[in-house]
Amino acid sequence: MSRRAVTLILFLAAWHGGIAHSAEPGYSAAALYNQGNAYARAGKPGLAVLNYERAALLAPDDPDIAANLQYVQRAAHIAAELRAASNATAPSNAAAPANAAGAPKAATPAKTASSALAKIVTRAVTRASPVVMSWLGLTGLLLLGAVVATRRVSNLYPWTCRGAAALGIALLGWMAGQGAVLWPALHSAVVVTAGAPARVSPVPMGDPVFTLPEAEVVTLTAQHDEFLLVRTAAGRTGWVARSNVAPVIPRP
Amino acid sequence: MSAAAAPAAAPLVDATLEPARITMGQSAELTITSSGSSNVPAALPQVNGLDFRVIGQSHRVEIVSGATLVSTAIMVRVTPRAAGIYTIPGITPQSQPLVLRVDPEDAPGKPSGPGNLNSAASHAEGIHMTADGSAYVRLVLPKHEAFVGESIPVEIEVGMRNGFVSSLNGLPTLNGADFTLNNLSRQPERIPKLIDGREFTLLTWHSVLAPIKPGKFSLSVESPLTVRVQTRPARESRLEDALGDPFLQNYFGVTVSKDITVTSAATELTVLPLPAEGRPPDFGGAVGSFKIADDLSSSTAAAGDPLTLRLHVTGAGNFDRVDSAMLDHLDAWKTYPPKSSFKASDPVGFRGEKIFEQPLIASQSGPQTIPALSFSYFDPSMRRYEVARSAPLAVAITPSAADQSAGPPAAGKTAGTAAPADGLRPDHVLSGAAQRSLVPPYLQARFIAAPTLLSLVIAGGWLGRRRSLVPRAPRRAAKAAGRVVQLLEAAAQAGKAAEFFSIARSALIGVEGPEGASEDTREIFDLADEANYSGHELTTTDYARWIEVVRRRILPEKGA
Repeated sequence: MSRRAVTLILFLAAWHGGIAHSAEPGYSAAALYNQGNAYARAGKPGLAVLNYERAALLAPDDPDIAANLQYVQRAAHIAAELRAASNATAPSNAAAPANAAGAPKAATPAKTASSALAKIVTRAVTRASPVVMSWLGLTGLLLLGAVVATRRVSNLYPWTCRGAAALGIALLGWMAGQGAVLWPALHSAVVVTAGAPARVSPVPMGDPVFTLPEAEVVTLTAQHDEFLLVRTAAGRTGWVARSNVAPVIPRP
Repeated sequence: MSAAAAPAAAPLVDATLEPARITMGQSAELTITSSGSSNVPAALPQVNGLDFRVIGQSHRVEIVSGATLVSTAIMVRVTPRAAGIYTIPGITPQSQPLVLRVDPEDAPGKPSGPGNLNSAASHAEGIHMTADGSAYVRLVLPKHEAFVGESIPVEIEVGMRNGFVSSLNGLPTLNGADFTLNNLSRQPERIPKLIDGREFTLLTWHSVLAPIKPGKFSLSVESPLTVRVQTRPARESRLEDALGDPFLQNYFGVTVSKDITVTSAATELTVLPLPAEGRPPDFGGAVGSFKIADDLSSSTAAAGDPLTLRLHVTGAGNFDRVDSAMLDHLDAWKTYPPKSSFKASDPVGFRGEKIFEQPLIASQSGPQTIPALSFSYFDPSMRRYEVARSAPLAVAITPSAADQSAGPPAAGKTAGTAAPADGLRPDHVLSGAAQRSLVPPYLQARFIAAPTLLSLVIAGGWLGRRRSLVPRAPRRAAKAAGRVVQLLEAAAQAGKAAEFFSIARSALIGVEGPEGASEDTREIFDLADEANYSGHELTTTDYARWIEVVRRRILPEKGA
């Protein structure tokens, strides 16, 4: 590899490190997980679920995060199907807690097969943390670039080049798959207050159309002033005050 | 009027009608007297438009010169149903017919009587009673000077004499379009009252009168009624009035129903305009006497939680014009348009309390102060504008739960505090570097820039490699050759052989050099010299052939 290529890789590595990590206090999966535990013990399931969701973004393969997330949501009486629909970032390999309640409903073979396949794919693409996945994706891109550059210079080692290109494409696909799995979590929020009223319009007037239980994970679809339009896992939509829900990705 | 029939020795039957001329609403009396051995006819006369009713009978026995003379008189009441001239046929075939003339009520020269309702009114206790004393309407105003927009509580009193007024056919209405009268749809108060010794039923409506423009006005109200009109002669009416029993009067069918409209006496009211001097900018038309107060739904709240600011306006006046925008804008707060509700403390809504409720949402935590609210109105008793002010309100705003969760957690704050007994998995040991963002790096714009740049480099290399493999298309040479051919064709068309060969030679020198690489080129060079010095002429065919030769020599070969 030429000196220029080495310089380019070093530059990109430094740049990447500057993006991902910082000297300032930031987020770590362990700290978020511990904070979620602290909120759970303090009787604040909404904030606990919020921190677990954030921790799962950084460490999607951590079974402890998924187990505690499910435990807290179950304790907050969030329905099992809503938990399954909303916990996009929860890894599927989390062992069920000992006090797990409620058996999954019977499903058709086709649905079971597709669900199993989705679990396998989700588990595969979330094996690595997003930071590692970024490195791998970048490596795949560099491999592709190296193959193109090599083929331009010479036609030697054609099979080696093809294998390297396939590996690069696989790494890029892996990264894209993880991005697709994590994408819904980037636009979700957690209800952090008990009985948050959801209204038909973004004004604090009139009777709410329904109330959201604390610790439920909802999807953010729009915002207006002090209100956020959310969609629940059950498909209901309503405007909720910002003070009642906290986005998984903090917004300025 | 009388009609006697019969010869002297025959039984005598006499009929008289009094009076022979009446007004519609009155009745006449037909007296049929028979004497001797004659029988009184069993059937009463039948005349269209007249009602006959026997109201009495008398017998008289006279002894004249030892002879006994018996006579019987039957009194029949004749009541017309419409105005006109009626002919009552004779009681016996020998009797003469009688004529009854019935005038309409408003006919000139009509006789006055107790049934005439629209004649001169009687006044008692300020009451404008109808002529027959059956009903009256009265408008009670508390003041006779008011301001535009001011609400004036008024009373409308309808007095109906018991037994004379059968129904009230509508609500009282105000004469004059310069006022509004509200809340008359409620049920009126009903009380009995004696007026001049007669029993009346009083219906009283309480309402609010509001003038809409300045000036001097004469106000009155009117009310539609149905009354029972007396139809008997005055002497009998006086008798039955003396008996004072309307039940008996109605029982004998001595009245007819009639729809009338009773109007009250006029009341003067002067309406003054609101003064322009001293009018506050936020004056919205409220006239009356008001006080305000404010309160907040809670003295503490979290940032983002809605609070309700309430403004209470109490007093008396035109509450429909009481309005307040409350707080249009407030720093560090999100304000919403207020909504209002009114609770009246009297039936007409003149006194009460109007409450404005405005939702507020604090956007910053910390102690906050809601500024004082103000409300402007015109006080008619003081004849000036007033501004009522409330007290400022203090509220403590705490950070919202969402705000508390927005920042990154303090590293190490909860590390190592495992408590597996509560069903949660134990805490993790803190390790690894903290990340600036929760968003995966490959979804951050700054990170995406790197692979995008790299992709561009790769794409550029790919394209460069393709271009090195694919022969370069001599597009520029082809363009230049095309221009040369165009010049050659122009010279050929003009018949300028010297110019034609000069262009061809210049083009071919650029391709094959000054000596020429082919036979055709060298021949063109020779022809160029010849045309230049000897004026060699060419045919059209020659031009075309040499153009084709030049085109072949200067155009790049395909696949080269």
